[in-house]
Amino acid sequence: MTAARFRDLLAAEWIKLWSLRSTRWLFGLGILAIIAFAVQNSLDARNGWADFTPMERARFNSLNEVFSGLSATMLMIGAGTVGALTIVGEYATGLIRPTLTAVPARHRVVAAKLTVVGTVMLATGALISAATFGVSQAILSGCGVAVSLGDPAVWRVLAANALLAPVSGLVGMGIGALLRHTAAAVVAVCAVLVIAPTFLQPTVHQWLNDLYALIPFYVWRTCLGLPQLRDDPALPTVAGSWAVFALWPLAAAVLTLLVVRRRDV
Amino acid sequence: MPAGHPRPPGNRPTARCDAHRACDTVGRVIEVNQLTKRYGGVAAVNGLTFTVRPGCVTGFLGPNGAGKSTTMRMILGLNRPTSGSATINGRPFTAHRAGLRHAGALLDAGDVHGGRSAAAHLSALARSNGLPRRRVSEVLREVGLESVTRRRVGGFSLGMRQRLGIAAALLGDAPVLLFDEPVNGLDPEGVRWVRGLFRRLAGEGRTVLVSSHLMSEMEHTADRLIVIGRGELIADESVAEFAARGTGAAVTVRTPDPAELAAVLTLAGGHVRQDDGDALTVTGLSAARIGELSYERRVLLYELAPRAASLEQAFMELTADRSEHRSAVPAGEPR
Repeated sequence: MTAARFRDLLAAEWIKLWSLRSTRWLFGLGILAIIAFAVQNSLDARNGWADFTPMERARFNSLNEVFSGLSATMLMIGAGTVGALTIVGEYATGLIRPTLTAVPARHRVVAAKLTVVGTVMLATGALISAATFGVSQAILSGCGVAVSLGDPAVWRVLAANALLAPVSGLVGMGIGALLRHTAAAVVAVCAVLVIAPTFLQPTVHQWLNDLYALIPFYVWRTCLGLPQLRDDPALPTVAGSWAVFALWPLAAAVLTLLVVRRRDV
Repeated sequence: MPAGHPRPPGNRPTARCDAHRACDTVGRVIEVNQLTKRYGGVAAVNGLTFTVRPGCVTGFLGPNGAGKSTTMRMILGLNRPTSGSATINGRPFTAHRAGLRHAGALLDAGDVHGGRSAAAHLSALARSNGLPRRRVSEVLREVGLESVTRRRVGGFSLGMRQRLGIAAALLGDAPVLLFDEPVNGLDPEGVRWVRGLFRRLAGEGRTVLVSSHLMSEMEHTADRLIVIGRGELIADESVAEFAARGTGAAVTVRTPDPAELAAVLTLAGGHVRQDDGDALTVTGLSAARIGELSYERRVLLYELAPRAASLEQAFMELTADRSEHRSAVPAGEPR
């Protein structure tokens, strides 16, 4: 008889994720909605192109049309909620007890959950980033405004768009592990990931700007998600923004591990 | 295959409590040593020490709130003891990677996600321990849920959830099994089935610990009893020894001449209490002796009924002052 390998734990978490009808609906509808949104924006731009002023044409960037702040909001809330529910779903239903009786080495359960959620979200984010870019390029190619993949800035934006999902999913897990209550976790995910950062704007106080530059949605909105960067000390730097994208999920993973290991269930 | 693993399924001996197997029985023991769990200032479990051995069904008894569930959770590493230790196989349970192969447990039938099917729930658990997929259909058949494997657990009755929980406990074919109040919600057929299952598991040389707050349940299931109240050990002995603690053993006699018979029996060394009307309750004399005496002294008997000491009564007497939640007027409680 073979002992349980980490691969088996990953498979178990995979089964748990996809055996819930809510997960399948959330992923299916969420991906379709974001792509449909990109199609609609692109069609609007193509149909209105003839009426655009030269100024509007000069400012137009198709990358902003295909994946707007609204799409990012939807993606972050969706991914964060799914991430939170993978943990809260266990605690709120009591399933955590059979789970940890089956695998008493808790860090392995947490590691498997983090891996599965992170990987699934990365794949979903990459799919959405590529699909929204692809359909809008196809629609806008008639206007001569399609952007080239030879531009490194395009790749940066596409990568940042793709990473929003895994970053949000793992942060959601951390929040879920901390709160262990379904409604509270979903509200906290929305508040922390999207709602609070929406109100942040660059200010004259540099210390506030530095503080804002630690928030994932803010750095995406003001730096990573923009095709053309402005050289402005009030705005986050690219390197700093990538660091924020890396540190939040890392911190969330550590938090999840500590909280799940420590607490009685 | 880990040490202390039971024989492969299929070869099922019948239940015999005395069948302590010479081989590796040490590896199947649950040992609880000075176990204490405090919540704030309140001790849910207080200095509990006992050992659960293989080959027997051990009943784990106590009134509501006595600390049974907390103890079981600490044995399984789900709750951290304030002090003391609980081990299975001589190791703390949290050390294991594949827990289902070392101990199977049903703690609460509600501990499932209602959105999953029975098959998906068990598949995830089985896979996490590297158990083959066929174990899922095997245990579902064993507990009688094979017709509802694809249905979502949210629509299950409590009895069906208990069966699903038992199925999960059996997945890993573990040498040690813990069941917390497994009979709740089961119909009479289910109760019979589950008793038979526990007997069989013990007969296979496994260690079986079954908790309940109902003594009557244990009367038909357990060989040994561990009784706790307010987190402390009250008794740890065989069912027969426990029953003998009760003041129950007595004989009920009905006669048209109770005064005469009472005099005769008292003279013979019996203790007689006059009940309503023509009935006497006699202790200290056997039914046969009472029959002889009444025959010799020509006292007519209408009824001569020995009453066995009941476990229920012994349990009530022992736990009377240790119940956490008690009604203001205890109903039918011998004081």
